[in-house]
Amino acid sequence: MNIFKKRAPAAEQAAEEGSKTNEKKHATLDIFDFSGENAITVKDVDLYYGEFQALKNINMAMPKYQITAMIGPSGCGKSTLIKTLNRMNDLVEGCRVEGEITIGGLNIYDKGVDLSALRKNVGMVFQKPNPFPMSVYDNIAYGPRTFGIKKKSTLDEIVERSLKQAAMWDELKDRLNKSALGLSGGQQQRLCIARALAVGPQILLMDEPTSALDPISTGKIEELCEELKKDVTIVMVTHNMQQAARISDKTAFFLLGEMIEMGDTEQIFSAPTHPETERYITGRFG
Amino acid sequence: MEKALSEEKTASRKRAKVKPSELFAKILFIVCACLSIVAVFGIIGYILYGSIPAFREIGFFRFLFGTTWQPTHDRFGILPMLVNSLIVTLGAIIIGGTVGVFTAIFLAFWCPDKFHFQYKGKNEFLKKLIAGINKINLRTIFDQIIKVLAGIPSIVYGLFGMEVLVSLFSGGSPIGGKGILTCSVLLAIMILPTVTSLSKNALDAVPEQYFEGALAMGNTKAQAVFRVVVPAARSGIISALILGVGRAVGEAMAVIWVSGNRALFPTGLFSYIRTLTTNIVMEMGYATNIHRSALIATGLVLLVLVLIITLSLNLVPKEFKGKRGDKVLNGDASATYVFRKKGTVCNVCAIFGMVCAGLVAVILLAIILYILISGVGCLTSAFLFGEASVNTPTLGPALLATLELIGITLLIALPVGICAAIYLNEYAKKGSKIVKVIRTFIDALSGVPSIVFGLFGNILFVTALGLGFSVWGGAFTMVLVVLPTVIRSTEEALFAVPMPLREASYGLGASKVRTIFKIVLPSAFPGIATAAILSIGRIIGESAALIFTMGTAFNFSGNPGGAGSSLAVLLYSCANEGLHMNEAYALAVILLLLTLILNLIVYFIQRHVKKKR
Repeated sequence: MNIFKKRAPAAEQAAEEGSKTNEKKHATLDIFDFSGENAITVKDVDLYYGEFQALKNINMAMPKYQITAMIGPSGCGKSTLIKTLNRMNDLVEGCRVEGEITIGGLNIYDKGVDLSALRKNVGMVFQKPNPFPMSVYDNIAYGPRTFGIKKKSTLDEIVERSLKQAAMWDELKDRLNKSALGLSGGQQQRLCIARALAVGPQILLMDEPTSALDPISTGKIEELCEELKKDVTIVMVTHNMQQAARISDKTAFFLLGEMIEMGDTEQIFSAPTHPETERYITGRFG
Repeated sequence: MEKALSEEKTASRKRAKVKPSELFAKILFIVCACLSIVAVFGIIGYILYGSIPAFREIGFFRFLFGTTWQPTHDRFGILPMLVNSLIVTLGAIIIGGTVGVFTAIFLAFWCPDKFHFQYKGKNEFLKKLIAGINKINLRTIFDQIIKVLAGIPSIVYGLFGMEVLVSLFSGGSPIGGKGILTCSVLLAIMILPTVTSLSKNALDAVPEQYFEGALAMGNTKAQAVFRVVVPAARSGIISALILGVGRAVGEAMAVIWVSGNRALFPTGLFSYIRTLTTNIVMEMGYATNIHRSALIATGLVLLVLVLIITLSLNLVPKEFKGKRGDKVLNGDASATYVFRKKGTVCNVCAIFGMVCAGLVAVILLAIILYILISGVGCLTSAFLFGEASVNTPTLGPALLATLELIGITLLIALPVGICAAIYLNEYAKKGSKIVKVIRTFIDALSGVPSIVFGLFGNILFVTALGLGFSVWGGAFTMVLVVLPTVIRSTEEALFAVPMPLREASYGLGASKVRTIFKIVLPSAFPGIATAAILSIGRIIGESAALIFTMGTAFNFSGNPGGAGSSLAVLLYSCANEGLHMNEAYALAVILLLLTLILNLIVYFIQRHVKKKR
């Protein structure tokens, strides 16, 4: 398949080649070692879309089992950055990343990093809920199935556990055969979280997960995040500053492709060191 | 006070009253739109009417379930032919459906816009060659391949099947090679374009977010495509396959020379067979009385079969509605499991898609090369410019007859089709019941097999209206054949005209009809031209609908009231008895070149429109 590429960024090609050699070594997909203090370390990262530089020299660390919020006005690069963390940016034609992003002890932009292994460990929840057009059960069992789990009792167990983890068990246990597209927007988004949890990620990336939802569903997802951070590290992009203030432990402020400031959420919102951060969180621009 | 108000209201109502010319135009548009309904009922009615004598004499069940077809002994049982038609169709959909769907998957997800070959050597020629190859847009090429395959006339497929496939499958034996397998393969090739292009549309319509969602969970690209996107496009793909089935069941001219023509139950892959369609073509020319009625009844069975297939499209559920029953979980809390990287099957499927696409390209190339190589030498000046007689076919009369046929057909079909499209796109409320009904009938009309159109034209125009075998009879029949194409393409073109253009016209006080004729139609002109060219292609390629309406005479006086052969029909009569094979090949070359030229014209019109936007 390598001779025909619909979108052929060099990175993906390199990874695909690498995955062949890596497959034998890491058949279990557990290639990461999360014993360190930080789940993700971003070092000197520049990102280009063709000629345009979308991220400029980003340096930051996301501590384990905490919620890191990324805020900033539209076009500041926060969504771009979150997509580099599981290499979904590889899909964008002409996208080029320089620098190092270390997750669980591995630079994920190294040659030979298995994308499947990376994305299994770094799950993602999108802005718009995207449950597959399948039943609730099949949505959640989807990931485990593609990783080779066939036994019914095992799949049942994973589905039940994931739904409980996403606090949806009581709502959905009698609707497992119903179409996931029939759920409300908020339920769909939490189902997507449950779906991501089913493959056992260490990190969950959330790209404005509540921007398409009503306040009540938003509240439920925020509660869920608080609960989830016992087991997973969460990185969240949000447009809603109150949301960042309410649930995150660390907050990073971005402006025009640069990270202006990062620190404890309390400090960022009460005593930002940078005047631009202050102007943004007090609502003077953005 | 109140009285004054109400008076004012009635006055304004009077002012808002539609002008008679507007009303007349609207009625005209509605009538044209409803013509497809009339046509479908007309066809069913006349075919049914023509079948009644057969049913009365033979008996419905003895006709449908009788196992012997011996017209000379007054035995008319069509069960073997019905079975043959169904088996051949099944074979075609298994082969053509698989290849078509996988080709579509390759085109939608793996086919590159451009090649990215790199060459670092110093050879100038190679450098230029590689640069040239890298400029090729493979997707456009495949798009054209599919369209050309769709445009090649049935009768040319028939010639290809008879000369190439039969000898390919015969294994060297002089009598072998015809029968079920050969028919299935040929029909599979013929339904490829339908299945591929419709499946590709369905795959393209699946939201990108499903694909991204699957990738984000650690799927490989092939896993995401085959486990999420393809199932999400399920309903569209099923519809594509159903339309393929409809096309295969109704095809007559392609299989006539490869079936073997024996009205018996099949006994093996290579047993000689006769299908419902070929039964009509073979015998309609000389049948009288009850025999003729029995053949019309064969057409009725075919028509009902195809209508059921077309209507079953509406039964395909558009989206996933959930599974039946409740799911009860039986989790094993002590289960231990390990996630492993999988996806070999999906990768194999992806490679199979590439192989299928390659196969499609090779098939087209084989057809074109075969026809050109064996046909170019047959383009003698005697055939091209010679005088025709009862025994010597030449190009001149057939060309003249075809041109007259095209002219008359378009003169009727274009205005009617455009008016119908105007009603559907400009007047009718989106999604209203009447639009749904009209659309269903347009779909039904486009699904009617050519040979049934031929029977209908023969009963109504040739016999009942007394036109005899004539260009008139052929043209009136072809109007019905091309009407769905005209309506659909025009409708697409009208739909693409931006709403603000209309609003600007209304804003200046122009009436609806004026807006349509002065603003909307001119902007949609390229689309309407495309509709006309597609129709010309269809008319040039058509044979089954013309044999029994326009006749098969080699001579043509030039008077549309007289009989004459169109190019495709002439090819049929030349090759049918094997007496004029050189002329048949020459005609195949001409038909093929015409198909290619028409496709090119459509391509350039569409590119022009795209550039303008």
